[in-house]
Amino acid sequence: MTSFFLLIFVKKKAMINAVRNTILAILNKNNYGYISPSDFNLFAKQAQLDIFDEYFIAYNNQINKENGRVSGTGYADIKKGYEEVIDTFSVTSSLSQSAGNQYIVPTPATTGSDYYLLNKLLIYSSITSSGVTTAIGGGNTNLIDNTATFQTDGVSAGDVVSVVLSNPVVANLTVVSVTNQTTLVVNFASLTTTSVPYTIYKKVNLKNEAEQVTHSKITMLTKSMLTAPNITFPAYTQEGGILTLHPDSISAIGRVVCQYIRYPKDPKWTYVSLTGGEPIFSQSQSDYQDFELPPDDVNNLVARILQYAGMSIREIATVQFGQSIEQQENQEQ
Amino acid sequence: MAYLSQYQYYENAGTAPTDKNWGSYQYVGLEDIVNNFQLMYSGNHSLVNNEERFKILFHAKRGIQELNYDAFMEIKALELTVYDNLTFVLPSDYVNWIRISLYKDGWLRPLNENIQVNSAQSYLQGAGGTLTFNADGTVITNTSTLDTERKNGQQNSIYLNQNNAVDQVEDDNASDFYSDYSIGARYGLNTETANVNPTFRIDKKAGVINFDSTMLNENCILEYISDGMEGGDDSQVSVNKLFEDYVYAYIEYAILNSKFNVQEYIINRARKRKTALLRNAKIRLSNIHPGRLLMNLRGQNKWIK
Repeated sequence: MTSFFLLIFVKKKAMINAVRNTILAILNKNNYGYISPSDFNLFAKQAQLDIFDEYFIAYNNQINKENGRVSGTGYADIKKGYEEVIDTFSVTSSLSQSAGNQYIVPTPATTGSDYYLLNKLLIYSSITSSGVTTAIGGGNTNLIDNTATFQTDGVSAGDVVSVVLSNPVVANLTVVSVTNQTTLVVNFASLTTTSVPYTIYKKVNLKNEAEQVTHSKITMLTKSMLTAPNITFPAYTQEGGILTLHPDSISAIGRVVCQYIRYPKDPKWTYVSLTGGEPIFSQSQSDYQDFELPPDDVNNLVARILQYAGMSIREIATVQFGQSIEQQENQEQ
Repeated sequence: MAYLSQYQYYENAGTAPTDKNWGSYQYVGLEDIVNNFQLMYSGNHSLVNNEERFKILFHAKRGIQELNYDAFMEIKALELTVYDNLTFVLPSDYVNWIRISLYKDGWLRPLNENIQVNSAQSYLQGAGGTLTFNADGTVITNTSTLDTERKNGQQNSIYLNQNNAVDQVEDDNASDFYSDYSIGARYGLNTETANVNPTFRIDKKAGVINFDSTMLNENCILEYISDGMEGGDDSQVSVNKLFEDYVYAYIEYAILNSKFNVQEYIINRARKRKTALLRNAKIRLSNIHPGRLLMNLRGQNKWIK
């Protein structure tokens, strides 16, 4: 059960403002001090990351409780709640190819966000067709390749066309219809230039999951007749920001699709102007970003931000107050 | 793998080869086995947890290999003609042989494995028996006299076929010369060698079956077993559905048995389950049913005159 006054003014659409107001109310009440919007944003980011990280630990603890048969089902299924929160940060995206069988881990430049955890890598088991576009047409919805044999290859409506329109982002288009052996119509008017490499896949072939293996294992694994990675049971290793897929034949645009858990976006409390020395909250600013954690984490956020703010203004009572709220939250869990 | 429509089953949905899916319903693929095991027998609340997929894959394949050796009764057959070198190269998926036969005149004639060696390696020898070596220190080899004479038809056979030293009848076509002589008259026939068919011997390391010269230009049929690994194409590896549960039990047992800190009673339970399921599957696969037994039992009241 959440405690006292904190949730009264909380709305999901502007949770950050409610949290900030609460923080300021607590700080001002005892004349502890004031934190600026930029400081608040820094503390808010840190607090959100702390809580986000703890979700995974809490999830694991909950599984241990289930294994110990001290957890319930239905509304008592705490694990399900954790899964739901974690899944709100789930992203599925095609990985950009670096070279050959090497693909780039999710980054803001390639998939739009950094990854916290690579949950699974799926590989298309086969390529239906591939090539390079030779012309444009149909209001940029035609994929034209004079050397292609789309009908012979079995390309059909609904197939996925992976292309790199803006390096290094992989875009996935959908085949709307197959005009003839050399021309396809796709669902998005994006093919504005020629010489665009493309690869076409059947959706049903996105079924083979690559297993992450350590560098200490991969050599032995590939040497073994029984366990050598193949298209049916592929594997990958990670080195820096590069994922190396095994077998080497996994080397086509869009062939590797990653489902990962991204980091929460940095919260940003934005304002428009100062009125009486006070910034007025505005969530219509382009860089506005609310917390991405669920509303029931408001108490945790307040507690953690208070601790950071207390440290900042060298007020130990504020830190202790934040810690006491956090302990209370933990006990309730 | 999804269920097939009847059109997909009978005609592979119109794509060649149209017979691709015939009989496929008897089997469950390796992909399904590993997937189902991870889904049903591995996880937070299961005995098996936090195991890498390659371990599950390894044990699944080992289980399938074992089944192929002695339980599946899935015998492959390959026919090849034996040419001048009198060898039959073992198939790429060969593990062990069941029967080797000569197919001639419409008859399948099972061949006997020669109890005597019929092929040997030979080192090139100089005067006084000295060996000669390559620059890298390996000895220079030569074709052995044994091999040369076997291929030339000069090697005598202890079997009662055309290479037998006693067989001197010029027009002997059916190799029934032994009935013309008093072979076995005093001490009885040596039944081990009493066979007119060509003989063979398998050189496992060389990967060939060596025949005697009477097999020249004849059709040989090798019945053999494989390990079911389908040349490394995991998408083609499959198990008869009767053994599906056994394979899950085998994987579970193999993992638990090699895992630290698993209680012995849990390992024993897994072992017993695995063994019982194998026994059940073998009984099922043996197809013992009343109709078949009846045919055999009908002979029990036959009058022996």
